[in-house]
Amino acid sequence: MKTLGTDYTKALVPATAADISCAQQSTFDWLASRFPLDQDPLAKLSTSAIVRREDLHEVVQALRDTPEFAYDMLIDIIGIDYLNYPGHQGPRFAVTYLFKSMRFAAHRFQLKVLVDEEDLVVPSLHDLFHIANWAEREVWDLFGIRFEGHPNMKRLLNHFEFVGHPLRKDYPAQKRQWLSTNDPLLDQLEARLRENGMELIDPIPLNTPAVEDVIKGSRR
Amino acid sequence: MSAEIENSPVPQQEAATLPFLTTSLDAVINWGRSNSLWPFPFATACCAIEFMSLMSARYDFARFGTEFMRFTPRQSDLLMIMGTVTYKQAPILRRIYEQMSAPRWVIAVGACASSGGFYDSYCTVPGIDHIIPVDVFIAGCPPRPEAYIEAAVQLQEKIKDESFLTERLARLRDRGEDLPS
Repeated sequence: MKTLGTDYTKALVPATAADISCAQQSTFDWLASRFPLDQDPLAKLSTSAIVRREDLHEVVQALRDTPEFAYDMLIDIIGIDYLNYPGHQGPRFAVTYLFKSMRFAAHRFQLKVLVDEEDLVVPSLHDLFHIANWAEREVWDLFGIRFEGHPNMKRLLNHFEFVGHPLRKDYPAQKRQWLSTNDPLLDQLEARLRENGMELIDPIPLNTPAVEDVIKGSRR
Repeated sequence: MSAEIENSPVPQQEAATLPFLTTSLDAVINWGRSNSLWPFPFATACCAIEFMSLMSARYDFARFGTEFMRFTPRQSDLLMIMGTVTYKQAPILRRIYEQMSAPRWVIAVGACASSGGFYDSYCTVPGIDHIIPVDVFIAGCPPRPEAYIEAAVQLQEKIKDESFLTERLARLRDRGEDLPS
């Protein structure tokens, strides 16, 4: 195996571009020897692997738990809509995962899963990385890609009354949606308090009167 | 001689010689209202940073009677919206406006509150006048504190043109009371 960049535990030396591409190539080769992989033809600046949907969970677990690689940080999960994208063939959607190692400076890797429009489901990674919980909710919110096994597949950014997925290329950017109420998010707060050992004597009430009462009250 | 003067602590002869002035009810009420605007800051973005300097010693907004910042809409009569309002925020803003008791006025501060600013997208309200009535708009991104003062002075001018009795009559009619025209 080739050298894999600086070990952060020994010296704080930033990785060079050559180190990074070398590490990416060796990671790719290592994965290709174990799983069916494709190289992403659209990735111009780095080596990116396209994995099959059913292998995703295993691949990520292998990347995280193999000590030579130690991709122990999930930076982000990104949804992509390839509608009308020049040079793209195949399924319309893709989900990209960005990984980084907190141990080796040169270790950065990108995985991609192609998702067909007919079957918008990807396995969830929330059991491997806590950050995947919210990142997957964001992708669901903006692209409508569902994550199988996710504990709380709710919208993250948009309101629960919002209809559609705004970062899809066929969503009209100027389309506005009026909402009737606020989105209190108390369910998560209460769950977090209980998790931290707090006991809620009474669930927090929404202590606001109905809008109609307020209008009448202000006119008296 | 009216009963009030008879019962006043000032002796009758003396009271008759005291100077007095006549005015209209509207003038007195508007004088009070326009010089004691209590603002409620609805701050969502960078315009609120300018508001901080406006309230502090250098610009001293209190000179114009907007002395008392209140953080509950029930005790304030001037709603200042400083910053971008998203559709998610819109029902909250609407509810805050409805919790304010009349008389109430609204200043939309800066490009975002006035028109959505450069956020021409699915999530930003293109101007808060889509949600609530606005009295004064301030341009700028963010406006200078002097612009806030200008807006407050213009609002005071506007309040001085209002009529308490006409307003009250309209409110009673809204409630469905049968009144002579």
